Amino acid sequence: MTSFLGFVEGPLWAVAAAVFVAGAAWRIVGLLAIGRKPDISPPRASAALGFIKANLRHFYPRQLFLGRTFVHLLGGYGFHVGLFVLLLFAAPHVAFIKDRILGFGWPSLPRAGFIVAAEFAFAGLILLWVRRISDPVMRRITDRDDHVGSWLTFLVMLTGCMALGQSHEFLRASHMLLVDLWLIYFPFSRLMHAFTFVLSRGFTGATYGRRGMTP
Amino acid sequence: MIIRYRVCRRPFARVAGRRNWPVNVCRSVLRARPLAIALATLAVLSLSPAKGLAGTGMAPTHASRPSWPVVREVARPGNALGKESFSDVWRGVRAGRAFKLSDPGLGTGVLVRSGGQDWRNRHLLLVRRYGGVLILLALGAVASFFVFRGRVRIEGGRSGRTIARFNQAERLIHWFVAGVFILLALSGLILLFGRVVIADWLGKAGFGVVVSAMMQTHNLFGPIFIVGILAMAVVYLKDNLPEASDLTWLVRGGPFFIGHLPAGKNNAGEKAWFWIAVLGGGVLSVSGLALEFPWIVAELRQWQLANLAHGIAAVAVIAVAIGHIYLGTVGVEGALDGMVTGRADEAWARQHHDLWLGEMSADAGPDAERPERPLAPPRTADTPAE
Repeated sequence: MTSFLGFVEGPLWAVAAAVFVAGAAWRIVGLLAIGRKPDISPPRASAALGFIKANLRHFYPRQLFLGRTFVHLLGGYGFHVGLFVLLLFAAPHVAFIKDRILGFGWPSLPRAGFIVAAEFAFAGLILLWVRRISDPVMRRITDRDDHVGSWLTFLVMLTGCMALGQSHEFLRASHMLLVDLWLIYFPFSRLMHAFTFVLSRGFTGATYGRRGMTP
Repeated sequence: MIIRYRVCRRPFARVAGRRNWPVNVCRSVLRARPLAIALATLAVLSLSPAKGLAGTGMAPTHASRPSWPVVREVARPGNALGKESFSDVWRGVRAGRAFKLSDPGLGTGVLVRSGGQDWRNRHLLLVRRYGGVLILLALGAVASFFVFRGRVRIEGGRSGRTIARFNQAERLIHWFVAGVFILLALSGLILLFGRVVIADWLGKAGFGVVVSAMMQTHNLFGPIFIVGILAMAVVYLKDNLPEASDLTWLVRGGPFFIGHLPAGKNNAGEKAWFWIAVLGGGVLSVSGLALEFPWIVAELRQWQLANLAHGIAAVAVIAVAIGHIYLGTVGVEGALDGMVTGRADEAWARQHHDLWLGEMSADAGPDAERPERPLAPPRTADTPAE
């Protein structure tokens, strides 16, 4: 009989990873398959360049909105950068990727760096969620999917933080269970923005870029 | 003994007859054989000091070295030199006396740091026992307040007109600190009282898992709290400076006064909570850093003080926070609105913060009395485009 850890890192992990890959691919292919109405006007500039420029341009705010979007900027960058650093460079994650996914790894961060990244990720996520519930406009455009996605991500991170001692199998198993659930939920929620933001920005950028302007 | 004598055919039994008294004396001595042997040995040793044990390592060295100061200098536990009583030696050990080590590189020679035991006793008494009582008292006070005073309703009901109370930055920082504080408080309480409250229920293995998880959580969220409490101090300071009306509010009974007490944007109780949170948070932050990064303190004594300060400040802030959470949610109708939506009902403001309402009305002029324009309902597919 397999252990709880064996189950969440074995069969459940395989199912969750398959759902994640297949679901995300299905969503992206679906978006690309929609296509767009042919533009018969003569192009004034390159649509492809507009696609790239819009993607890069939206990584920093326009001067006019800097003050109003400061918290969003701070929380957004704190959370996303922190999350990707600890996801890709935490020693346990690098070991897992090497052993279970790719077969090769890369140098990992020292523990202190990993902890700092986690601090930024947690602070950013909490700030973003607090803004979601305390800003009147954000509260109106937020629905259940946003809350589920935020809380599931928070719980994945929290159980990972709880397992930092690496002294109890149960804590690692709890973290892996939440990771599996997160992977299964991912393709069917707004968490897909991790992939679709490129298409979204690019679509607008290509459309306007063809007309000779960068949005 | 009788059985042994029988087996040995009573070799030392008394012999009858008057002429046999020398035999009987010798046999009496031999009957007390262990005592006799000990006395005989002692006599031999006393006649030839340090010869019988010479070379065995058991001979008292002071016999050949009569200098007392030298003996004291090399005194060490175990009383091997025989010039100090065991009681004095162990009393010295308990009091933190430094002994000479065979290898000076081993440390200070202090075998027992009594300060550690004193610190533990103080911690158990001040933090765990009195702290636990304080938190139970806070819960009891809140429950009593609810039972006897009930929910403080808005007199005459909500007016339907709202007034801006907390801006976006104030609400953001409040909920940010509140969320992190709750995580830290729960994990800290489990670390502090878990062994008393839930260890038996969870079992040793289960409790070990919980403690490990809570310790990692507590350590990770601590630095985030420091940033949050600093931001809170900056953002909220201007509305929490003492005013003359605070004294009136306090003198007339504060939260126990039934009726209206004049107050500005924050009454004296709310200002007290702000200062407790900020100053207590400051103590928690500094002491928490010393606990999480112990190499930044100079010596163990400072770490122990940091531990005591951390525990005392934590239970104090948690106890007051229980009251704050109650009054901000269940205890006072309309109190939560300002922190959720940013706007408070005018009737609530008139009842609890009349001076502030007056200031806001004077600043805004007649527009302050204008009802808030309701937000448009969310757009749906049926909503016509403008």
